[in-house]
Amino acid sequence: MALKVLTVDDSKTIRMIVKKAFRPYDCQIFEGENGVEGLALASKEHPDIIILDITMPVMNGAEMLGKMKSEPDLKDIPVIMLTAEAGKDNVMKIVQLGVKDYMVKPFKGEQLIERVTKIMPLNEKKNAEDPKEDGGKKYFSLDGDIQCLTVPAKVLRPTIVEVENLLKDKLKEMQSAGMKKMILDLSKVAEINVSLIKLLITILDSCQVAGVQVRVVASADTGKELKEFQETGNIPIHFSADEAKAAF
Amino acid sequence: MDLTSFNLGAFLRSATQEVFETMLSMELGEIDAIKQLPEDTRQVVGSVSMAGTVSGTVNIYVGDMFAKVITADMLGMELDEVDSDEEIHDVVGELSNMIGGDLKSRLCDAGFDCSLSIPSITSGKDFVIESKGWAVNEQVFFEYQEHIALIEAFLKNGS
Repeated sequence: MALKVLTVDDSKTIRMIVKKAFRPYDCQIFEGENGVEGLALASKEHPDIIILDITMPVMNGAEMLGKMKSEPDLKDIPVIMLTAEAGKDNVMKIVQLGVKDYMVKPFKGEQLIERVTKIMPLNEKKNAEDPKEDGGKKYFSLDGDIQCLTVPAKVLRPTIVEVENLLKDKLKEMQSAGMKKMILDLSKVAEINVSLIKLLITILDSCQVAGVQVRVVASADTGKELKEFQETGNIPIHFSADEAKAAF
Repeated sequence: MDLTSFNLGAFLRSATQEVFETMLSMELGEIDAIKQLPEDTRQVVGSVSMAGTVSGTVNIYVGDMFAKVITADMLGMELDEVDSDEEIHDVVGELSNMIGGDLKSRLCDAGFDCSLSIPSITSGKDFVIESKGWAVNEQVFFEYQEHIALIEAFLKNGS
């Protein structure tokens, strides 16, 4: 059964960071904007864990926690308190409130997950068991001794991170197999944006460092647009895979 | 401890750089003070206040475009997907909360007990926020790529 996580914070930004941190895990996330909403959700959903901000309008985290502690069916729910204040007095106050743990902002999502796993185990989502393998199939394919990397229609910021990580492993794999050729296929690209340009540069730089030759395939329109950018203007573009293969 | 011997500038610098580094993976470089922020650019200002044995304010100023870059990074979005002021204000407010929270903790540890307000936002073009009557104040300018951020703090003895 999915773990129920309640995040209570007046900042949508922090709630989003918490949600993102739990995304790879089998969790159901509930959100409250203040202590009143948090308390109502805690009573209704009986979450397995609460990530609770301390400074909030309407009802702050300390008040909410105090009310929870007086409710027999809520008092044992573990709470991780979030605070922007790391001062000794503040930390002492938080500890005395009876929280399981606390985190001082700024924090990274991974740090939050690390704290949660000290309290309870988190199960990865079944369909995300091996994201690398899934991602590998999504972007990479083999054509004889040539590795093909197909770029999706729209490249967003997370795509860069995902491809970068996969590419590192793929280049190591290619090196140990003695493979030296890659086709970078942009023929599916429907939109040229800053992220795509960054991704292209990253791929080409990484391949150069690894001693892998790259030939770029793109549609005529994409090729024309890429020529207009200073960063990509000098990249030779081929208009079909066969043309690219012949250019090795 | 006398408030004037509190190392406001150093704390402000380290808090700002840590917040940007941790939350946004952005390394800010400090630059020399400039006379004023560009008048033709819309500014977003996040502010938090402190009240207690010491009172004060922390403001973070970022231009409209930098505010969008920060928001996109923090929320994992593309720049062109940031289309609401609500998101921008929330992110800039949260940054001011984190920087102000760090400063408040340093003050409390130095014996200046105070409480922190929730963040507020001011935005617009060609305006000046004048703060007077403070015992100590500090302004630090940072740059990230072509963007500039101004962080300022004002403190005085409270009630």
